[in-house]
Amino acid sequence: MFGIPDPYIWVAYLLIIALAGACILYGLVNWNRGEGDLGS
Amino acid sequence: MAVDPLVTGLVVVGYLLMIIGLGIYGYRKTKVAEDYMVAGRNSHPLVIALSYGATFISTAAIVGFGGVAASLGMGLIWLTVLNIGVGVLIAFVVFGKRVRRIGKKLGAFTFPDLMGKCYNSPFLQYVSGIIILLSMPIYSAAILIGGARFIEVTLGIQYTTALLGFAIIVGLYVVFGGLIAVMYTDAVQGAIMAVGMGLLLVLTYIKLGGVTVAHTALTGMSDLVPAALTAQGHMGWTAMPAFGSPIWLTLVTTMVLGVGIGVLAQPQLIVRFMTARDDRSMNRATLIGGPFILLMTGVAFTVGALTNVYFYQNSGEIALTAAGGNIDSIIPLYITSAMPDLFVIIFMLTLLSAAMSTLSSLFHTMGTALACDVWGRGRACALSLRANKRGILIMMIISIIVALLLPGSIIARATVIFMGLCASAFLPAFINGISSKSPCLIGAKASMLVGAIIWAIWTAFVHAAESGAIGLSQLIFGAPSVLGQPYSAINPLVVALPISLIVMVAFQIRHNRNLKIE
Repeated sequence: MFGIPDPYIWVAYLLIIALAGACILYGLVNWNRGEGDLGS
Repeated sequence: MAVDPLVTGLVVVGYLLMIIGLGIYGYRKTKVAEDYMVAGRNSHPLVIALSYGATFISTAAIVGFGGVAASLGMGLIWLTVLNIGVGVLIAFVVFGKRVRRIGKKLGAFTFPDLMGKCYNSPFLQYVSGIIILLSMPIYSAAILIGGARFIEVTLGIQYTTALLGFAIIVGLYVVFGGLIAVMYTDAVQGAIMAVGMGLLLVLTYIKLGGVTVAHTALTGMSDLVPAALTAQGHMGWTAMPAFGSPIWLTLVTTMVLGVGIGVLAQPQLIVRFMTARDDRSMNRATLIGGPFILLMTGVAFTVGALTNVYFYQNSGEIALTAAGGNIDSIIPLYITSAMPDLFVIIFMLTLLSAAMSTLSSLFHTMGTALACDVWGRGRACALSLRANKRGILIMMIISIIVALLLPGSIIARATVIFMGLCASAFLPAFINGISSKSPCLIGAKASMLVGAIIWAIWTAFVHAAESGAIGLSQLIFGAPSVLGQPYSAINPLVVALPISLIVMVAFQIRHNRNLKIE
């Protein structure tokens, strides 16, 4: 894939993109959650 | 550098003026100890994310580990998987929010203070502070050495002058501006780093003819791997090393697991969570943190490996050979040889930012550990601005002395040592402290002790990379490592952390059982 034959490498690349995407998604979904949650 | 020294000098002066301006802003905003120690617990999500990321990523991560990728290949990208998955997603979503809430509830100001208050143990606060004071100066000295060497090469300033100037400029804004100054300067430095690394990736692929073309060219160079590396398991720059080989063990245990997991227990990063106002700030910071780290280590490791294609196409040599065998020289050599003049200046600011943001956080963490957790523990002066400023000043001086004594080759090794010790000693007790309703104090003490001792023994007598340099094993047993392959290639953290974790869990289970009986 993209000139990288070893799946152990391109899977890692897919994972870093997916994880960065997960961070973005988590931030967007929870954008307004937890406001003023000053501690239990 | 090929760029005009006058232009470079003007850019650096402008950059330093901006940093000093932010330091003054922090100084004016700082009124009470809470401002100085935890930035008033009211930081903006963007500032939290960029400050966390910029503190996390030092020059060693870009230049040192980028050079390692040039030597060992793209397998290092698994460290980026952990950097984002563990260092951002788990750290922010799972641990960060708990740390923020508990820190606020208990009124904790530093990492040792948090540990002490979670377990209701002044002793644990004291011991955590001592571990920071013993281990962090080596790491801060390594950052200082890296920064000073870089300034020496790029600006032509004599090494000792560069080292002193670098430490004093960073020390000044940390001492006077506290954590507000540290985090605002971190945020600006983080933004510069993101621009620099983003451009580096784009320019590299343009230079090498596109994504697939560049990767295919690198794949086709596998027969150029030096015989010494092939014998140790190197299978080419776009392939993982042979499973279980010495290079595989070093890559997976030291680089990927050692640094990837070690990040969770770094006091200077954990404090960032205590600066958030609410959980919403943490949610929003997560959005920025993940892509930021992708731009840092993801780009450094990819470009690092691809430098082989550039050097081979332009000089007929692989990167390591072109750099005279010095891994730390590969990225700087690539930048000055392959990149346009304007980018050389941008990258210089990127590296300067990476070094300054990490160093400022280390100075702050060490200084507050000294004043608040060790020397001033239980006394009114623990939260005095003057005492903490003096603490930071003292630890800055100690870092300078250690930097002048340590050899230059210690940079990458010191980073791994610091992260390994922090994770082995702190991580299980820290996770248990913020997770359990009734955390077991004896278990925390035992876990920290066992983790630190096993880590120290493995470092001094087994892990060849350190035991060979320390020399104790050679002196007592007549060999650099008392155990042969594969054990001598396994990082101390991989051995010490699971045992430290088992100790913590066992004590906590017994503690919970006793509570039920009572």
